[in-house]
Parts: sequence; C-alpha cells; structure tokens
Amino acid sequence: MAARLATPASPKNHKVKAPQPGQPMYGCEHLQRLFNQDQATTNTSIQHYKAILHTIFAKSPLIAQTAKTVDGQPVTELTPTYLCLQCPSTLTEDDRTKHGTKKSHRFYVDSRCGTLYCQMCDDIVYDPTFEELRLKKLGTGSFASRKRKIEELFEATDPVRENPTFLSANTMAASCKAGGLRGIYNAGATCYQNVVLQSFLHNPILRNFYLSDGHSSSNCDVSHCLSCAMDDMFQDFYAAEATNGYTAANILSGFWISDKKAFENLVTTKEQDAHEFFQFLAEELHERNGDGKRPESGTDHTCTCIIHQTYYGKLLSTTTCQNCSAVTNQKQSFLDLSLPLENLSQKKGKNRPARPNGTLTLQECLDEEYIKSDKCEYRCTNCNSMQQARRQTSILKLPNVLSIQLKRFEYKQGRNERAVKIDTPVQFPLELNMLPYTNTARTRDVSAEYELARSCTYDLLCVVVHVGEIDTGHYVSYCRVGDQWFVFNDHKVEVAQISDVLNSRPYLLFYVVRSLS
Amino acid sequence: MVRPVAWEESIAPSSQTPTSHSSTTIIHHAATMSSSDTDGTGKAGVIVAPDDASPMDKLSHAVLDDLLYNIVHDLLIKVHRDEKMARANTAAIKVEKLAMNATDGATADPNPDVVVDTDAAVYKDGQVTLKGNPLKTTKEILCPRCHLPRLLYPTDGKGARKPDPGVIYCKKHPYIQKPGYDIYGQTWVAPGPGRGKKKKDQKFDPNDPSSPAPDTGSAKDRPPNVLSFPSATCSKCKRCILVTRLNNHMGSCIGNSGRTASRAAAQKISNGSNGGSQNNDNTPPGSQKGTPLPGSRAASPRKRDADEFDEDAEDSDLPGNPKKKTKLKTGSGANTLTKKVILKAKVPPSMAATLGKKDKPKASSMLNVEQKVDDDDNKDSTVQVAPKKPTPVPKSASPSKKIKLGPPKPPLPSPGSLKKTKRERDLESESSGTLSSPPPR
Ligand SMILES: [Zn+2]
Ligand SMILES: [Zn+2]
Ligand SMILES: [Zn+2]
Ligand SMILES: [Zn+2]
Ligand SMILES: [Zn+2]
Ligand SMILES: [Zn+2]
Ligand SMILES: [Zn+2]
Repeated sequence: MAARLATPASPKNHKVKAPQPGQPMYGCEHLQRLFNQDQATTNTSIQHYKAILHTIFAKSPLIAQTAKTVDGQPVTELTPTYLCLQCPSTLTEDDRTKHGTKKSHRFYVDSRCGTLYCQMCDDIVYDPTFEELRLKKLGTGSFASRKRKIEELFEATDPVRENPTFLSANTMAASCKAGGLRGIYNAGATCYQNVVLQSFLHNPILRNFYLSDGHSSSNCDVSHCLSCAMDDMFQDFYAAEATNGYTAANILSGFWISDKKAFENLVTTKEQDAHEFFQFLAEELHERNGDGKRPESGTDHTCTCIIHQTYYGKLLSTTTCQNCSAVTNQKQSFLDLSLPLENLSQKKGKNRPARPNGTLTLQECLDEEYIKSDKCEYRCTNCNSMQQARRQTSILKLPNVLSIQLKRFEYKQGRNERAVKIDTPVQFPLELNMLPYTNTARTRDVSAEYELARSCTYDLLCVVVHVGEIDTGHYVSYCRVGDQWFVFNDHKVEVAQISDVLNSRPYLLFYVVRSLS
Repeated sequence: MVRPVAWEESIAPSSQTPTSHSSTTIIHHAATMSSSDTDGTGKAGVIVAPDDASPMDKLSHAVLDDLLYNIVHDLLIKVHRDEKMARANTAAIKVEKLAMNATDGATADPNPDVVVDTDAAVYKDGQVTLKGNPLKTTKEILCPRCHLPRLLYPTDGKGARKPDPGVIYCKKHPYIQKPGYDIYGQTWVAPGPGRGKKKKDQKFDPNDPSSPAPDTGSAKDRPPNVLSFPSATCSKCKRCILVTRLNNHMGSCIGNSGRTASRAAAQKISNGSNGGSQNNDNTPPGSQKGTPLPGSRAASPRKRDADEFDEDAEDSDLPGNPKKKTKLKTGSGANTLTKKVILKAKVPPSMAATLGKKDKPKASSMLNVEQKVDDDDNKDSTVQVAPKKPTPVPKSASPSKKIKLGPPKPPLPSPGSLKKTKRERDLESESSGTLSSPPPR
C-alpha cells in the first residue's frame, strides 16, 4: 500500500525533463527511443522508475536485494541486484542478460544506488529525467515536498527545505577559479577563529544565504556588523580569484568591539576555545539577522533567521516523578549538542571491554545523552516536594546542520582549578543516522521506517580538531567540498584523504542533513 | 516467474518474500550461490577461503568478499557518474557551439532549424541527443561554465603532467598535492628572520604555520608561488599591521582601553537596549566613528552628534571607510545592469551570471544613496552611509609591493568583477614588507 502512495494514479502525464543548455536531452540513444515512443510508454517508464526507487530507498533492503532466478527460486544477494524497468522482475547480474534476451527488456535499476543500466549500451546511463528523480529520492526521501511524518522532525518553517533549488542554483561561482578554497591567516593565536570561519564558509546553507545577498553589507547600517564582515568574507572566497590567504580583519575587529558574553569568556580565559567562538559568532549573527530575541529564548521561539534555520534544533526533556509518575515535559532550543567524554570513558572501562586507548564512538556518546535516562532530583508540583525523578532527553526537532561538541576541555575541581584536555579518541562516521535520538523514535517503533531514517541521515561536513596541549595547542579543520576533503591549517589548504579525516580526534563535528547535500 | 502485471501490486507480494526466507537465505546464498564458479568466496573473488576451510570460514569469507564488492561498486559508480556526465555534457557543449556557429547572426540561442552532427552528439530541433557512449566518443572535458577545456592533471606534485602550452585551459585546475605547498602550489616565506627554519614540514606544528618555505629574501627574488604574510589596516588607528600581529594589536588598540571605555559609554546612552537587530545603539559608539572598517557603516551624522566621546575625537578627521566607498562606486557603475543574479529567483545554474551581489534590485537605490552622500553636508542626512567622500586608496596601502597571483585583466561583466575591484584593493594593502621581526604566536 505504501507503494501506492509513491505512485499516485494521477491522470497527469509524466514529462521528460526539458532540454538544458550544455546537457544532452537523454541518457543514451536507447532511452531517447523509449521516451519518444508514445506518452503511455513515457508514463509507465517514469512511474515504474519511481516505484523501483521507492522499493530501494524506502523499504526493507531485503525486498530489493531478493531476486528470482530463472527457475523461480528467490535468492537474496548482498551485492547489487537489478530491477527491470519494464516489468516487475528482480534479477541477479547473471540472469540480467538472459531476461533481456528473452523479454527484450533493456533497462535495469541497480538495487544499491538506483542508477539505470542500459543493456544495449552495456553501461550505466545517467538520464536527466531519471537522475532528477533519483537524486530527489536520495535526498528528501520523497518525490513531492516532504511528507508530514518527516516534517514533524524538522522545523516547520523552513524556507531552505521548501525550496529545493535554493541550494542547487547556487553552486556555480562567479569565476571558475573561485571555489571558496582559501586559507585564513593567523592573526596571532586566532586559529580557533579560523577553524570556525572555515566551517561557516563551507556550510552550504550559509554560503547560499550570503551569496544570494541574504545580508548585504552594502545595505546594512550596523556599525562593525559581524554579519557584514561574514558577507564580505563569503564574497572574497566565492567571487574573487585570489588563492592566497584571507585576512579576516573585519571579523577580528568586529569581535574585539563586540560586547557579547561569550566574548568575555574568550578574552579572559587564556585557552581560546573554538566552540565558544562558534557560539559567539552564531549569537552575533542571529542578532544581526534574527528577530531580536535571545537565540534560545522561549520554548516556542521560532526565529527564522539564517542561523536558526541552519543550526538550531529543539530538545525535549521528559522528567518522570518516581513517586507519583507525573510527567513534566520541557522543550529547549539548541545550537549544538554537547557530549561529555570523561564519564563515559570511565564507565566503559568498567562495564565493557574497552577498545584500545578507551576509544569511544560518537553513537555511544549520543546514546548516553539522548537515549538513556538518568536520575535526578526535582521539585514535583504534583507531590509538592522534592522527589527522585528519571529524566530523559531526546531530540524533538532536528537541525539542518547538526553541530556536535565533544567536551574535551573540562575544569577539574580541586587543588588548582584548571582545565584539562581529555584526549580520548572518538570514532565518528561519515554518515550519521539521527533517528534513534529523536523523540519520534522514543515514542514509537521506527525500525521499519526506512524513509524516515533516510530523512534523518546526515553527512559529515566539517571536523574541527585541537592538536597539542590545552594552552599551547593549535586548531586545524577538515572540510568537505563535494566529495573532496581538505585540511585547513590557518592560511594553508591541502588535500586531505578520508582516512586523515576519520583518524583525527575531533573537537567539533558538523553534519549536514543529506537532503541538502 | 508468475508475478502480477501491475507494478504497484507487484511490490506487495514481493514484500512478503523476505520473511519467508529471511536471513538464513542470505547466509545460505552468500556461501553457495553468489559466485557461480568459485566456492567459498563472494562476488569480488578477492577474499578467498582456503579449500580446506570449514563451512563457517567459507561463509564469513564470502560475506566479507561481497561487502568488499559493494564498497568498490559504490566508489566506481561515483567516479563513473562524474566522468560520464562530464563527457556527455562536453559532447553537448561542442555540438551546441557548432550549431551556434551555423546560426549566422547575433542571437543568443542557436536556430532550432539547424541540424548539426558530430561523432558524439546531434543537434536537432533545438535538442541535443547523444550518439554512442560519451566515454568512448569524447576524450576531453569542457568546463560547463567557461567552455574551455579542463586541465586533467595537476601541474605540479603528485601525478603532475605538463599542460599543453598551446591550449587555454579553464581556470579551475586539479588541486596540487605536494609536501610544503598548498592546493594551488603556493608556499609562504618563513614569517621572519631569526627563527625561520626550525622545524620543517610539520603539518600541525602550531609554531610554524608556514612550514618549509624557502627564505628567499626580498619579494622581487621570489618565485610567484612563494607568498609572504600580508599586512592589514587596523580599523581603529588605521595603522598598517602585519597580519600575524593583528590580533595582539587590536586587543590593545580596541580591546582594552577603547573597549571598556566605549562600552561603558554606550551603556549610558542606550541603557542596555539590547534588542533590535538593525539597532546600532548597542554598538560601542567609540567604534562607530573611530573605526570605519571596510564593509560596515560609519555612524550616521546624527548618531555622531549624540555620541561625543573622548576617544573618538582623535579619529574623527580620518577619511572614512575607503572600502565602502569603492563598493558604492562600483555599484553605481555601468555594469550593474548586466549582472543581476538573484538566487532566490531560481536563475538556472547554467547561466554565466551568478552570485549576484551588491547590485541587483538595490542597484538603483544605491545610486541614489551615493548622490545623496555627495551632495549633502553630512549634517542631517538620514541615510546611514559613510559620510565622507570616496578616498581613492586606503591610507595604509603600500602599492609598490603587490602580490598578484594572476593578471588582473578585466573579467566578464559578472559580479566577480565587482568583487574583484574590491579584491585588488585588498591585495594592494597586503604588503609584503615589514618582515623585520617574527610574528607573535
Ligand atoms: Zn523485464
Ligand atoms: Zn543505451
Ligand atoms: Zn550587517
Ligand atoms: Zn535567529
Ligand atoms: Zn511526584
Ligand atoms: Zn571554466
Ligand atoms: Zn589600531
């Protein structure tokens, strides 16, 4: 029945994508013939392709991975199977040729990635019409705008998601040479700023906001506006051909002039913290672009500024009184998720066989915070007294860009209260599924909701790493541009291998929701 | 193979199949059926169990082998897709160009009646269709943006090849991978004498940001890919400071005295009105006037009258906001009309004009602003723009020592050109001098 949803029996005719300059109209001559037969063939082809994509991406993988042999035996493969575009057969690679010869069916969909194989080309073909459908499905998990169910998981008012062209229309720079890849000079122990600025520069939502004149410095009257300084920086990165380092003088003076709380911390504490700078910058940019309220004020605060659209999500804390079982819910906005490492690495040492060096995984850290519950004391209004309670926090609304801080700097109580660095290695994935940590997953069984899981999938975008000791250390960052990773060490940009990225010890992690990447 | 004919229905029955043969089938399959010829291995045939291995051993080898196959498969598809689409588009670009040439005249689009035929594609009825597999028919890759051939190998470092000197390539080059050099093949001179070459080639050494840059003396002797640290102008005192010292300088120049004083004063005036995003009441007044940093507004004259503070007085005669002026000037230039791209308006990405900026709908209003600025005497203007006349060159620039990475030839009338003028200005102020002492870390 779910399949019916994906292919509504609409009377409307399916159209082949209109010709684009600099692009062939069809994936190959054979698809050209298919699409030029008659409208009915075009309709069924597109409908079938959509249904197949739905099977592949929104259902149990067992379905698409199960083929039938020529003698009718079901076979489940780990490796790709091929779903015939012209009939409901699923075939193994070996049987694909036989099926084609017997039925004259020529097009097959790869069960792993949904790409189309043309038997006459004997190659995978990338047809503009089909590719558009495939990429849409891969991203949002649906062909139409997002379905209700998924929408509940994200902020409702979200122009970024409403408008899919918002991102794609933007990837072309003003010059072939201006690709946004430049270092930023260290202005004297400002590497903690540089890494955060790079994470902003390679954030697709922020990039598109600034490059589409979201906050135009020629139209802003605020003196020393940091958003204007960001605007100038984005222009210099994406519209100029310069390849040397960038001098972030405006950001720096805007920073020194600011009177933000976070700023005080940054100046007074000697060990400058990239995370605090991130918070500072986010707060400052919200103030310049937002609704004027405190960025995290109110439970139903729905600021639509670029920073809120990009980074903010909502948490739901449920506190259950152990005495009377009364439940209190509390919503709270978050800019980032802060994950403690210390307690967890100790705990693990006791309970489970630890990995070498007490390595943790990001998922373990998230489990600890957003799946497990903890005991606390609270004032129960029902019992009208202090009571033992269980508190559980989960994510109510997921952000478009998920920022995670691994708490590597802790203040040690006692003797001479000073910060220490926790160097525990944390393994983190390139692809992160956040569904288990949502309130939706807490309240109902979502194990079979593949589409929902897909919509909660994030891709790693940027990693901020602190190397060295706590006060003599240095920050570098890794950012992804397309599929290529780069390491940013102040003014120096180098190509990075995925293994370099994954072997680093992250301090901040930025993940972008897949539907936007 | 009896299956329902209608596609929608076919999914329902097949969704029951997995339950009937669940995970055991996979196991069974992986070990026995995945590879028709070899026993004890999967589809990749790389991870092979020894002949005398136990069935469980063979099974795990087969599963692992299948997983390896999948990884390679996914990688291959990705590369294949990028390459094949780039070549298919190249075939389309080429045939469109020919169609364009065949259409005599100045029209932007080729005449749809023209029919052009190449080895790789056909242009007919205004449509481009492929002939054969672009991976076979098309060898080079043209940039979809500038239509020039892409350089396929880096010019230096790992995998480098000599580019054909007779070909003008697209400016987007493959990234260079060479120890001590960045992705553009650039390197930096050591930040200063006396401590230059301590440690070489340590990627993450915080004490040596420039890594193994050869110390080649003055700017003239250096090859063009050896850069030095630039200087920047302090937005408050207008002094030219080596970038590595900028933070320290601003800390003392704006940070200590200026900051606390001006903040206290600001509090007096605005009384903690912390709200409005367009409200500059909570910006320290000292900074409003004294520090016309590029890209921001100087205070409006009215504001200025209201905020009379000691630390501002010394600065008030300085030329305001040179960069801002440039922007306004260029904004009002003739090319504003040609380059408007508003991403929100869903301009197709293929259009050369992109990244509209500092122009578009505001262009006309900016013109007005500029006139106003020029006309009025800065006393009661309600337009909050930089109140001073445009200053041609930033005070701090040391124009003799420029670092230029490419010929600054006037580019296409695109927003890039606008930005470029601005950029050049920046470059001019990036002096390579003042290397006399090491930067503080
Ligand atoms: Zn078939
Ligand atoms: Zn074909
Ligand atoms: Zn602004
Ligand atoms: Zn906001
Ligand atoms: Zn109670
Ligand atoms: Zn190009
Ligand atoms: Zn100064």
